[in-house]
Amino acid sequence: MNRTLAALLVVLLAATTQTFAQSNPFDMSGERPAAEPPVEMPKQEGGGGQPAIQPDAGADTLSGGARHDFRRYIVPFDALSLSGEVDERTWSMYLTPAQAQSPATLNFGYQNAIVIAPEVSSLSVFVNGELVGEGPIKASDTPEERSYELRAGLLRPGSNDIRFRVQQRHRTDCTIESTYELWTEIAPDTAFISFADAESAVFASVDDIRAVGVDGNGRTRFNLVVPGMAQPSRTADMMRLAQGLALRGHMPAQRVILSQGLPELGKPGELTVVAGTVDEVSPLLAALPDGAAGGSVTAFVHDDKTNAPVLVLSGPDWPAVRAAIEAVAEPMDRPSEVPRDIINTERWLLPETPVVAGSTRLRFSELGVATSEFTGRRFRSKFSVAVPSDFYADAYGEATILLDAAYTETVLPGSRIDIYVNGNIASTVPFDSATGGILRHLPINVTMRHFRPGPNLIELEAVLLTEQDKVCAPGAPASTDSRFALFDTSELHMPNFARIGLRPNLAALSGAAAPYRNSAGTIPLFIDRADADTLSAAATFLARLAVAGGRPIAVETIVSPLAAGTRNALFVGTLPELPKTVLTQVGIDPSRQMSWGSAQATGRGEDTQKAIDEWQTRLSGGAWRTQITALQNWVKQEFDISLSSLRILPQEQADFAPPETATLLIAQGANPTDDATWTLVAAPTAKLLSDGVSAVSDIRQWQRIAGHISTYEPASGAINVVPVTNFEFVQTRPASIGNYRLIIANWLSSNILFYAVALVVLSVLLGLATSSMLSRLGRRP
Amino acid sequence: MSKIGPVAAWAFFSLCVIAVITLPVNLQTQLIVSVLVVTFMAILKLIKAEGRWRLIALAFGTAIVLRYVYWRTTSTLPPLNQLENFIPGFLLYLAEMYSVMMLSLSLFVVAMPLPPRKAKAVSPGAFPKVDVFVPSYNEDAGLLANTLAAAKGMDYPADKLTVWLLDDGGTQQKRYSMNLVEAQRASARHVELQALCDDLGVRYLTRERNEHAKAGNLNNGMLHSDGELIAVFDADHAPARDFLLETVGYFESDPKLFLVQTPHFFLNPDPLERNLRTFEKMPSENEMFYGIIQRGLDKWNAAFFCGSAAVLRRKALEDTEGFSGMSITEDCETALALHGRGWNSIYVDRPLIAGLQPATFASFIGQRSRWAQGMMQILLFRFPLFKRGLSIPQRLCYMSSTLFWLFPVSRTIFLFAPLFYLFFDLEIFTASGGEFLAYTLAYMMVNLMMQNYLYGAFRWPWISELYEYAQTVHLLPAVISVLMRPSRPTFKVTAKDESIQESRLSEISRPFFVIFAVLFVALLMTVYRVYTEPYKADVTLVVGGWNLLNLIMAGCALGVVSERGEKAASRRVKVSRRCEFGVADQWYPATIEDVSANGARVQVYGVDAATLPVDTDGLIRFEPYSGDGTSETLPVAVKNKEIAGDITTLGCRYLPEVARHHSLVADLIFANSQQWSEFQKARRGNPGLVGGTVWFLWLALYQMSRGLIYFARSLRSSDQAEATR
Repeated sequence: MNRTLAALLVVLLAATTQTFAQSNPFDMSGERPAAEPPVEMPKQEGGGGQPAIQPDAGADTLSGGARHDFRRYIVPFDALSLSGEVDERTWSMYLTPAQAQSPATLNFGYQNAIVIAPEVSSLSVFVNGELVGEGPIKASDTPEERSYELRAGLLRPGSNDIRFRVQQRHRTDCTIESTYELWTEIAPDTAFISFADAESAVFASVDDIRAVGVDGNGRTRFNLVVPGMAQPSRTADMMRLAQGLALRGHMPAQRVILSQGLPELGKPGELTVVAGTVDEVSPLLAALPDGAAGGSVTAFVHDDKTNAPVLVLSGPDWPAVRAAIEAVAEPMDRPSEVPRDIINTERWLLPETPVVAGSTRLRFSELGVATSEFTGRRFRSKFSVAVPSDFYADAYGEATILLDAAYTETVLPGSRIDIYVNGNIASTVPFDSATGGILRHLPINVTMRHFRPGPNLIELEAVLLTEQDKVCAPGAPASTDSRFALFDTSELHMPNFARIGLRPNLAALSGAAAPYRNSAGTIPLFIDRADADTLSAAATFLARLAVAGGRPIAVETIVSPLAAGTRNALFVGTLPELPKTVLTQVGIDPSRQMSWGSAQATGRGEDTQKAIDEWQTRLSGGAWRTQITALQNWVKQEFDISLSSLRILPQEQADFAPPETATLLIAQGANPTDDATWTLVAAPTAKLLSDGVSAVSDIRQWQRIAGHISTYEPASGAINVVPVTNFEFVQTRPASIGNYRLIIANWLSSNILFYAVALVVLSVLLGLATSSMLSRLGRRP
Repeated sequence: MSKIGPVAAWAFFSLCVIAVITLPVNLQTQLIVSVLVVTFMAILKLIKAEGRWRLIALAFGTAIVLRYVYWRTTSTLPPLNQLENFIPGFLLYLAEMYSVMMLSLSLFVVAMPLPPRKAKAVSPGAFPKVDVFVPSYNEDAGLLANTLAAAKGMDYPADKLTVWLLDDGGTQQKRYSMNLVEAQRASARHVELQALCDDLGVRYLTRERNEHAKAGNLNNGMLHSDGELIAVFDADHAPARDFLLETVGYFESDPKLFLVQTPHFFLNPDPLERNLRTFEKMPSENEMFYGIIQRGLDKWNAAFFCGSAAVLRRKALEDTEGFSGMSITEDCETALALHGRGWNSIYVDRPLIAGLQPATFASFIGQRSRWAQGMMQILLFRFPLFKRGLSIPQRLCYMSSTLFWLFPVSRTIFLFAPLFYLFFDLEIFTASGGEFLAYTLAYMMVNLMMQNYLYGAFRWPWISELYEYAQTVHLLPAVISVLMRPSRPTFKVTAKDESIQESRLSEISRPFFVIFAVLFVALLMTVYRVYTEPYKADVTLVVGGWNLLNLIMAGCALGVVSERGEKAASRRVKVSRRCEFGVADQWYPATIEDVSANGARVQVYGVDAATLPVDTDGLIRFEPYSGDGTSETLPVAVKNKEIAGDITTLGCRYLPEVARHHSLVADLIFANSQQWSEFQKARRGNPGLVGGTVWFLWLALYQMSRGLIYFARSLRSSDQAEATR
């Protein structure tokens, strides 16, 4: 008991020095007062053969020579908020064998909403399925730190599941609305596992790259130090290296930074990789790994000061370096034509996301939804399924959830289950029995309208109304009588759906790196300038694509768009430097090429549009116009039919002028011969390009990239999407009538009038054919 | 071979339409399509497009119906693991699919009905010998006398025409029955009818045993006669004078022709028409059958024998050893057998006989039960779809005619389906409000429009539903019993000479009130649930609306089973014919207002009513249609009188003394066939879907209140009966 208290005290103290800790997280000064940590110092000598790390001279004076432990941040997000009455988040982190063996403590700080009743609310932490700590949620005034020791043997080398779960109840309120006021936030920069064994920082093998981890904002960074990066012949190899690293790390927000000199070492969530011939890299490092002069070397060295690992890829000449790069990248290779059956999301979401490519039934238990009983008002549960990049059923498709659930008679009619897909309501099922009920495989149709290629988050929310809650007697919010149960025998049934690629379709790019993932050959990559920022942007983008696609994408650099030929190509650069053909092909207004990013030039087109909109609102007073607008709105609201879905002629798509607020744009179009996809990643300047790509590579931003053009606004962090209006189909599968039928169904569902006209015309023809047939058959007048 | 092209084109376009219809497009698309197609159909209907456009409109309707079927099949059935929902849900589904199948069969039948045929005269001097059979079982002599006189009076060479009364009421079996009363009655009838036949110059024929009912009776007639052609008239169906001239000619040109069928025209309203008072203004129920369906069947050489008002070829009948008697609808069965042996039939769309139909609701139901059970027997014993020798269209036509009589089953399901939800909260049809709008409502509207397009002038909106509902209540047990024990039902003769002396509830009206009460409670339940369960008000309103429709139908049917009283002893026919009334050698100008088999009502001008006590003998002098232009007299007796100023209305009873008097009565009642056509034409107006619906709603409301008043009255009188006891 005492020990825990002491540990708590330690953590509390640590929290007060948070700002420092953030700037230099490995500074252990905060922990100094604790006489606690049972660290075996000698262990340090044992591992890695590296000299003992010297304390950071610039850090706290108290830390001199007594740096005991090694910390790894555990939250792979920039914020972790658990809200509602029940919520949980599960992911995994990779531990090196050394880390797994080390005694470890899990620490985190949290704060919660003031309305949460501490006595009936709890926050639990599980590691590898085992409860490591649980406590009431009571940090409404100031953040509270918690620290749980992890028993020996709990951690294992490789992936370790971490789960945070809350049970939260309101102090006074029993309404559904009140459940939205319940939240607990865990600051990522306070949540870490502290390994007592300082050798935990040491990376011994290439596999340990997986343990790269995150910084206090949930981000990961690979510093690629390539002294010879300006040589165009090396670009492809650097891209390959970036992808290999990214696939090994597989973290949700990875950035690749290329530089010619060593960055500051020892920062959390970073891995520095030095790649170059012996001649190039030897000035950078105190000592090269053995054998570098003789042949290809892939090995870690460790920084004297920080003990930080540095991956050295070297050899006497570039082909040897390339071989070293292959040692990192090659094990990540997967065949391009074999589709994945799961998408690896484990570092930020567990269980991993299954890929559904056709008619499939998935049990909730397989999807990670456990049987649970619930006593509160608003139950939430979620899971993730992925659809392939050529998913084309958003207009007509319907999946079915076969729900096994039960509710007691206290649940009043009017309660309901809502299904959300990627945050959009997709279905509502009322509970309409006043005497409770057991639902056995109750079919709930879930529209696929909000599905997109790649992983999709499906949330199931039960809203439970009871008489008890209407009265809301004191203590009622804390009632422990189960009202609702969800069983893991429920199933998600995905039907066969239409599958064909669209061009352009950035959602397929972000969801599954299509079409690049499926190219067996190399992808032409156009980079306007081989400077560090542009190369970093290209590397980060490709790394992100590699993670999205689950395999490294081979690239070759081209200097002219013409060289792309009929291959799918990628263009990365600053807008002013890019060839005009590329801009026109992907639908960017070339006249804005030079002006984007210069503040004085404000978009003309934008103003015009704004003025027209204003005039429209000003004139909408006319009586019949209001009537028509009202009718339009009603039809839109009730039946989700808009005028645009009733169009017969294709909509004229104006060239896109990137707004001034945006600093990055990703646009897709066809090549001039209409037989390949061109994707452009551009920004006004190389710096903005690098930062922008880094920002959108975060999984939460990345998933929002969709449509024809996506732009990123750093001020708001928003991704704005220009939807696809004109597109062409790209055959992705062998021709089959069944698939074509579904494709036609989807196309007609989004081009309603065509269906209506087709049916009318065919009916007329059938009527005429019937008339001609009948006048020849049977008796005639 | 010129047929293959159009059939292939039709098959191709059908496949295209089916391919487009079975695309799983989304709800929005369906909604737009529904609106568009319904609008197109409405426009085509409004501009009264005919010919090709009619088929195009029907194709539109078919498309929406098929969309509905596709959706209904793929998305609306309750899950199999919820048996309490699935079983009723699936029954409802089957009932709907039955309706769709019947719709498609009837579309096939009436897609392009043959226009009325041109008359075909017999070549001079080549008149074939015709035997006229009038089978009788229990009809009284007065009625028979009229029919026989009319048959005898047909224009045809006298030496080529023999009229036979085939009496099954005076057979040896009956005359020597163990039941003394029956035996006495049969013997008396035997004697009376023999005398009547002698008087009229008609052959009387009876047989030993009543075997095989009407079919056996007709076969017995065949054994004793030898005419090349056989005309059959029911005892209460009197032919017009030109009947044979209009029909016999067709046999000459087609040696494989076995049947010329003509429509049955009724002088009196059926119980629905009488109780709802629609006889004068709305086309009769059977006009849809004789006006459109038989013409449609005729196109496919599948017009069938309807038991009366038809001419048949003896040679053909001998081919199948006479009339078939396996089912209790020997007429259709015989036609089916002969079609199967390659014989042809035609239908002449001109009323050439006039008859009487059941007057009371109970006997109406009795008649329909016989038809339903007989058709079911044909379906079970002769399953027309696989019957050898029939062409494919003939198979479909006969399937359409027989399967139609399963309607009580589907009607019952439609009637009770909403109650599953309203009372037991079972969800047997899973659909959202939007889906209901886009699919079901469009389907219902298209269905009504198609019906109106097909039968508009012959069948007003909702009337089919009313007739089906009114029959369903009692036909359902009949149909189920025949399905259980196909050989059980036996031939029962429908009584057609009953009358309603005073207003009363039909003796079989009780179930209608029970159903009405249940549906009314369901209506209250709807209101209650809309208020107490607002979260599912949309579903409740949709189901409640459906129940309301049933309730309206059931309310209207209350009027149907509330029999209006009539003063006359037998069926009255309005005639309005100039005549003179003679009493005591004095002739007064007069008009015959209406006539029945027993008497007439005459308005006389200027007669001194005081000189006419009851039972005064008088004479009516008028010009018969059948004569040579000279007036003839018919003796009558005054039975009652009403005086209104100069005009005295006399109720008279005929006192026929010689055979000619029977002919005069027949002439009065059955008039001439031209008049019948004109009468029918006058009723054939299409009120349109909206007009018809509004009219029907008003009718239903009025009839419901009338039914409830009759019901209250019957309670009071039974209370009084109790009290007096």
